[in-house]
Amino acid sequence: MTASPGALGSPPQVGAGVRRPVVEVENVSKTFGSGELAVQALKPCTFNVQQGELAALLGPSGSGKTTLLLSIALILEPSSGRIAINGQEVYNNGWTGVDERAFRRRNIGFIFQQHNLIPFLTALENVALMMQLNGVNRREATRRAKELLGYLEIAHRADSLPANLSGGEQQRVAIGRALANEPPLILADEPTAALDTERGSKVMSLLGKIARERKSAVITVTHDHRMIEGFDTVYHLDDGRLSRMPETITAH
Amino acid sequence: MDLAVKDIRRHLGKFLATIIGVAMLLAIVLVMNGIYQGNIADGVWLIENTATDLWVVERGRGGPFNESSRMPLDAYKSVAATPGVAKASPMVIYSAQRDIAGKSQQFTLIGYDVFGGLGGPGGIVQGRAIAAPHYEIVADRKLGLALGDEVPFGTHEYTVVGITQGAVDASGNPLVYLSLPDAQEAQFQQDNRALAAARAANLKKLERAGYSSDQASRLLPLLSSSGDTVNAVLVNVAPGADSAVVAQHIRNWLYFNVYTTGEERELMLEGRLRKISAVLGLFRALLVIVSIVIMALIIYVLTIEKIRSIATLKLIGASNWVIVRLILEQSLALTLASFAVAYLLREMIAPNFPRTLAFLAAETALTFGVMLVGGVMASLMAIWHALRTPPQMALGG
Repeated sequence: MTASPGALGSPPQVGAGVRRPVVEVENVSKTFGSGELAVQALKPCTFNVQQGELAALLGPSGSGKTTLLLSIALILEPSSGRIAINGQEVYNNGWTGVDERAFRRRNIGFIFQQHNLIPFLTALENVALMMQLNGVNRREATRRAKELLGYLEIAHRADSLPANLSGGEQQRVAIGRALANEPPLILADEPTAALDTERGSKVMSLLGKIARERKSAVITVTHDHRMIEGFDTVYHLDDGRLSRMPETITAH
Repeated sequence: MDLAVKDIRRHLGKFLATIIGVAMLLAIVLVMNGIYQGNIADGVWLIENTATDLWVVERGRGGPFNESSRMPLDAYKSVAATPGVAKASPMVIYSAQRDIAGKSQQFTLIGYDVFGGLGGPGGIVQGRAIAAPHYEIVADRKLGLALGDEVPFGTHEYTVVGITQGAVDASGNPLVYLSLPDAQEAQFQQDNRALAAARAANLKKLERAGYSSDQASRLLPLLSSSGDTVNAVLVNVAPGADSAVVAQHIRNWLYFNVYTTGEERELMLEGRLRKISAVLGLFRALLVIVSIVIMALIIYVLTIEKIRSIATLKLIGASNWVIVRLILEQSLALTLASFAVAYLLREMIAPNFPRTLAFLAAETALTFGVMLVGGVMASLMAIWHALRTPPQMALGG
């Protein structure tokens, strides 16, 4: 992950081989309101996230983390700048006209603090739904969802409803759903906030494994400093200003 | 993946309870339809089931159903002599309440010329028509009488010789047919005490007018009320004769009011049945509106309960159609299942309902259509809310 201002230059190479950028953010800012009531929630920031990179966005409440995340997710329109996801420009001082839902479905996997599984679907159905939304037929979606749950070591709970799963199990299913369409980018919003330290660490390890093995770029928003050890890159947001934390802290 | 079906399956108990609640409301709508049409069917049953072309009644009156009509018995002879009249028969009709089959019952007595006259009972389902000049009756099944039962009217006992099915007056009360003289007697005959009181009053009236006791006694029969009164004369027009011309002739020369069966029907619909039909129609419309509003609220609440899931669906990229389909399918499932249960409830209620329920297939289909459209309309508010839900609602704690 490369941030600017700060002239951080080329992104760090994670693992072997040259990786292409999945997220390109250039001078993206966001101001809410206008005139005297204007509040600049996000000051112009620039960074890239590479294929297979696990990046953290750290900062206190109200620092602009969610604003930045929503902008990358094509949910909140920035005020200025440029955003490209997986090589496709989606924002350039205005949305470029991509079908935001279809784009999210194909390119972005989401992991939430409260897991947000659909409560009336089983674990398997929650994962398969994501594929079916993307046009995969039911049989194939079910087969692949079973495989994914196996990969996440939760296949034995495939037929359980979310209400019958522990917090950690629910988060694994949510990760399965995020991976369902093999998106190049995964956005995780406080994925460990609802878990104890042990389960939180396991989830972070899992995200690292996913980034390495599946070559997805993972951006995780967190305010929990205990969880930053496993990240390739850590960025800090404070009062809307993005800065990169020393690499010594975040050594892989 | 059909999200609506999955949601219903997971919350089957709640969904079934909702269906039963809505179905009971819809069943009331369907029964109200039956009451509305039954009210009309009852109201015109006697008019439409009396084989006559013209109804001749007292001049200036809208009788014999909407208003009382009294005519001398002999009037039918004058009517019969009118050019173009094939047959004219007197008819007596009046309401009564008696203890019959162990309970106090309201019914309408129809007196007619049992020897070939008009106005007799059609559709006898058991027994036969009246064949004797006196003391036989044909009663509707609703009264709970059986063939051979003896029923007291006035000072005589009458034997049930025939049973009809569905023969009712405008209020839905059963009809009892009997011979004209019997009906007149049952209607006008007074008991001895009443006769004595009337006689004493008439005597006093004459004496106050200056007649001696002897003169008053001799004049007394002239003041006695006559039982030779009928309520209407039924007319069959001769083949080739114009009903309108015959009716006009009777109006002009005999000074009676004359109505065709169609006009008599209109009199009933626009008179006696108008207000009750309007009230029932209004009540019916209100029930439909209330049902749709309740369905809208239920669909809305069902959607609000899922609003976070809907926000999540939007965030993970589900199209609007996936969300609209989720709500719309549940709305349609609720409407269809509720209507089906309501229909079954109606079928269960109808046989034991105290009033005639007349169900028209077209009206039931129309109600179904209205409820279906209402169900879709009801879901619009929920769909609107769901589509406005920002996907970021799925984020955060």
